[in-house]
Amino acid sequence: MPANNYEYFLLLPHIVLSVGIVLSILIEIFTRKGKEVLPWFSSLLFLFVGFYSIINIDKNFFIFGGMVEVGGRASIFNFIFNIAALLTVLASTDYIKKYGINYSEYYILIQSSVLGMMVMAMAHDILVIFMGLELMSICFYILAGLNRKRSSNNEASLKYFLLGSFATGFIVYGIALVYGTTGSTSIQNIFENFMQYFNNILFIVGMLLLLIGFSFKIAAVPFHMWVPDVYQGSATSVTGLMSTAGKAAAFSVLLILLGTSLSYSSPIVFRNYFSVIAVLSTLVGSIIAIAQTNLKRMLAYSSIAHAGYMAIGLAAGNNYSFAGITFYLAAYVFMNIGAFTIISLIEGKDETRLTLNSYAGLNKKSPFLAAMMSLFMFALAGIPPMAGFFGKYYVFFGAIKSDLTWLAIVGVLSSLISVYFYLRVVVYVYFMNENEQFEIEKSVGSNLAISLTGLLVLLFGIFPDSLMNLIVNFIK
Amino acid sequence: MNIEIILFAVLALVAATSSVMMITRKNAVISAVFLVLNFFALAGLYLLLNAQFIAVVQVIVYAGAIMVLFLFVLMLLNTEAEHQLFIDKRGIKFFAIFIAAFVFIEIAFLIFKSNPSKNLSPDQAASINSGTIQTIGQQLYTNYLIPFEVSGFLLLAATIGALVLAKKKFE
Amino acid sequence: MINLIYLTVLLPLIGFLFNGLFGSKIKNEKIIGIIGSSTVGISFLIVVGAFIQTLSLPVEQRSNTVEIFTWLNVAGLNIKFAYLVDQLSLTMGLIVTGVGFLIHIYSIGYMHGDKGYWRFFSYLNLFIFAMMNLILGDNFLVLFLGWEGVGLCSYLLIGFWYDRNFEKGTTSQAAKKAFVVNRIGDFGFLLGMFLIYFTFDSLNFKEVFAKATTFPVTETTFSLIALFLFIGATGKSAQIPLFVWLPDAMAGPTPVSALIHAATMVTAGVYMVSRASILFASAPSIMIVVAVIGLLTALMAASIGLVQNDIKKVLAYSTVSQLGYMFLAAGVGAFSASIFHVMTHAFFKALLFLGAGSVIHGMHEEQNIQNYGGLKKYMPKTYITFFIATLAITGVPGLSGFFSKDEILWNAYANGSFVFWLIGVLTAMMTAFYMFRLLSLTFYGNERFDHHHVHPHESPAVMTVPLMILAFLSVVGGFVGMPKVFVGEHGNLFENWLEPIYKPAQLKLAHFGMHSHFEEILLMAISVVLALSAIYFALKVYTQKPEIAESVSSKFKGLYNLLLNKYFVDEIYEASVVQPIQKGSEKLLWKFADVKIIDGAVNGVALLIDKLAEQIKKIQTGFVQYYALVMIAGIAVVLFFLLFSL
Repeated sequence: MPANNYEYFLLLPHIVLSVGIVLSILIEIFTRKGKEVLPWFSSLLFLFVGFYSIINIDKNFFIFGGMVEVGGRASIFNFIFNIAALLTVLASTDYIKKYGINYSEYYILIQSSVLGMMVMAMAHDILVIFMGLELMSICFYILAGLNRKRSSNNEASLKYFLLGSFATGFIVYGIALVYGTTGSTSIQNIFENFMQYFNNILFIVGMLLLLIGFSFKIAAVPFHMWVPDVYQGSATSVTGLMSTAGKAAAFSVLLILLGTSLSYSSPIVFRNYFSVIAVLSTLVGSIIAIAQTNLKRMLAYSSIAHAGYMAIGLAAGNNYSFAGITFYLAAYVFMNIGAFTIISLIEGKDETRLTLNSYAGLNKKSPFLAAMMSLFMFALAGIPPMAGFFGKYYVFFGAIKSDLTWLAIVGVLSSLISVYFYLRVVVYVYFMNENEQFEIEKSVGSNLAISLTGLLVLLFGIFPDSLMNLIVNFIK
Repeated sequence: MNIEIILFAVLALVAATSSVMMITRKNAVISAVFLVLNFFALAGLYLLLNAQFIAVVQVIVYAGAIMVLFLFVLMLLNTEAEHQLFIDKRGIKFFAIFIAAFVFIEIAFLIFKSNPSKNLSPDQAASINSGTIQTIGQQLYTNYLIPFEVSGFLLLAATIGALVLAKKKFE
Repeated sequence: MINLIYLTVLLPLIGFLFNGLFGSKIKNEKIIGIIGSSTVGISFLIVVGAFIQTLSLPVEQRSNTVEIFTWLNVAGLNIKFAYLVDQLSLTMGLIVTGVGFLIHIYSIGYMHGDKGYWRFFSYLNLFIFAMMNLILGDNFLVLFLGWEGVGLCSYLLIGFWYDRNFEKGTTSQAAKKAFVVNRIGDFGFLLGMFLIYFTFDSLNFKEVFAKATTFPVTETTFSLIALFLFIGATGKSAQIPLFVWLPDAMAGPTPVSALIHAATMVTAGVYMVSRASILFASAPSIMIVVAVIGLLTALMAASIGLVQNDIKKVLAYSTVSQLGYMFLAAGVGAFSASIFHVMTHAFFKALLFLGAGSVIHGMHEEQNIQNYGGLKKYMPKTYITFFIATLAITGVPGLSGFFSKDEILWNAYANGSFVFWLIGVLTAMMTAFYMFRLLSLTFYGNERFDHHHVHPHESPAVMTVPLMILAFLSVVGGFVGMPKVFVGEHGNLFENWLEPIYKPAQLKLAHFGMHSHFEEILLMAISVVLALSAIYFALKVYTQKPEIAESVSSKFKGLYNLLLNKYFVDEIYEASVVQPIQKGSEKLLWKFADVKIIDGAVNGVALLIDKLAEQIKKIQTGFVQYYALVMIAGIAVVLFFLLFSL
């Protein structure tokens, strides 16, 4: 059935971003000044789309025949994606120059990936989810390998592509089974007739395969193997985006998929699945991270552990824990991008200065970076009053509400383990003697990105309740 | 037993065999040829499902255009060094085969157990029309407008990616 | 204006952030000083606005809550970050921002040329921010936030000149001492807060106080709550036994001593007791404890003040002594009198400190009053204002100190006992004596300083103008609280204004006996005469016959040494508390319990995890085929379990 004009109007953020992508290409083709213009153009674009979405949060409708949802939950996620992309663009100005990958395409691909994420977040149809996922993933595959001169980049890109396609295969198979058993791709339909479909084992297999595919995207154990290599090999600024916004997008889909099933009778299958995933991810992520000396790799394992904490919320499967995951994701986006930005500033050419040793005595070189790095590490470790603490707190509390106290305890235990490697960075930054001399070049963009993320991490920690209330009201 | 089931069995067998052959060949060109065979078999399966348009596109685009391109690239590339990538560890190989077989058996078992076709009574008349260009076009521009538009951007991004990764020199 | 009250908190915070972040970059002292002062100045104007608006409201609507945001909402504990704008908080707010503003202005001149100029102003702003939270908070948690915040600022500012020496140690040692002693008090306060939440299931002032009158709570519980809260107050307000930090706090710059260690922060304990008046009133035995502790502190500190030679030390002990007065008032149930004394004390004690600062400034950092003398002609403005303040603190009739002190003494007699009054008057006599001793030694008599090296000079206008304003307030500030015996039952404006706050407490406290006006006037006259004679004696001794002081001190050498060494309290604490704890923690806790048991266990686990991590790490081989294999194995397991769960 044809859509009416108002429905297009509600899609304005997506349309603006799409037009922006096309415009960016035209700017590059006709003015040849893409490198100078596009960082600012993209920033403005993300800023507008992000804030326009969040302002229209209460216009919560299902449009295009119930295929997509605008406002509400989708708005919150749009905001997260766009701010993450904005911060990435701001933060990467120094980095991509340093590595000679200052291409206009870099910005265009980031824009496209954000469009993909936004499509995922608004989707209420498995087909739309799939299209969004592929759009995002393909952009990421390319971004990961943007620096063709470096073999580590090529390797990361190819690994990501191969394993990503592998996971996509399972997603598609899952979609096929779900479609086969329900005769429709509409999530609304699944939601309404869930009890009926649930008697069909093939439907459960289909759903599980879908969930497994997305478990790959959120980097949960045992589908995490790609993460350390890809995060380490890709350009640092790209890693920042992949590990935050990419994860958030995958979680937004998981929240939709599980929202359909768990809210009914919380099938024990999905709950068990995510409980196991969560335990494995938190423990494996936290424990292996201890053995890492390369900071990017350490944060890759930390990212696995964080996926595990959020998966605890998925296992709990109540509204509170879902809102908690959303809060956690927003907090995680800021603290992780902040950390990766600092890493990208410290990093020297040719992947040098990535190990902990280079951070020894950072306090003497740049007290600002040292302080912010410590802030982000504290936040990631989940020490109050930083944002990370409340993210974990809400998720664990949601688990307790669903009688999964043991899971919350496992989460707390592995948080304790993780404190070790986060604080080790702080120890190096403040209490070790410098053993390398180098200059840190910071531009306005990086400074802005770091200050902004730092501020947001603190704000989220100081005013958690107001934000949480906002999210709870719109996650349903 | 009607003709449909026989055709399905044959095509499915061809598709499965050709894909196994494809991934086990050491010579890339032979692999590519098996892939073409696989595509043809799939096109046949699409036809059986009344998806005429998809079947035709499958043959023209995949089996025709893309595979020819593949073969050209393979001939231009040096694939001699490929064997370095193989892992020659027997244990791992057997484990991999075992796991693959295990997953296959599991899924097969689940499918038989759930007996998916018992609830379905396909409306033959409707489904014959559903595969035509007209219906597909109509659906794409109305109900499936959003995924369709997104696929446009997907291709755009892929094109840009191909350019970035393959362009000879930047500036 | 009431709804804008959050600005009074926000503006100093902005000032703190601005000066803290960019201060080191701004080379211009003026900009830093103006930003630091104006934020507090605007806050003051807003409080004045809110005050006027509240005054125009009918009495029963004068207590307003301004909600900022929900702070915590966790399992039944719902804490709103809200500000309570009522008579008490407005009174305190006016004092803090008003006096604070003057001291900021003064600091522009006083700190001129200091390398930590921007740091100083950002800390001062942070202090005002924390103090306003303490005062305005509408629940115990926000109060506690401010409570800890001012403690932090106090610590930072005492150790402001971290590279200077102070007495036997360094300023950072003095700062540390203040911090640790305060922490002991804070622990008591925290316990009190837990007990309040445990008993009343809330931390909100209004709810707790309402429940305190209606809930069936035993007196023992009330006594415990009140005792814990009072322990907190003794830490912050420097009462026995936790007063030892305040004299050392004089290591900080003089404006800090004036603002934090005389006018505002140290009165936080009085404010808190007064705020929780109903809880104290429900625990009569603790009320007596409060009064006795206050009285003893007042007496003890005043006696120490008699012989001190450091100008700031004298004022510090005087502060401790006056704080004792305030607790005496609170202890006998005269809460409004205690707040009244907080106010007048803020005026004249801030003035005394700033005057002392002006003298120190003019005398090139010399602080020993034995090396002053005859400064009257060199710094006339400082002298006159200092003189007025001295008159005010000694309780010369007509000045602000007279009214508040008289109110306290009268209440001590009427609601307490004759002994309370007697000791109170004795303290007042001592106060008069040491203040005029200070005045004489500083401004009168022979010039005992070295003329070749020291050239006394008057301070710039930016410092003397605040002195004059404070002098004016010290003179007239008392007229809002004239005794009832002169102005009738409803003439005491200050008491009427605060009355609704203390109504529940006053209902609980039964006042016995009637006292005649004659009695009151007689007692007042006696105390005035005694104070005046002490003044006369001090002037006589220290301007004309200094040999009397010499002979007295040599005759009572033991007593003199006892006082000079502050009753050896520091030494006693050192020997009885600090040393045993240090030894015990080193030998037992550190070397044995921590290193052997805890570290052993922790390191063991850490080592285990480390080894484990090294092993698991090996799975990550780098081959993409393996990765795919792990994935598919995972899927196989998941499906396997699905089959089993069928």
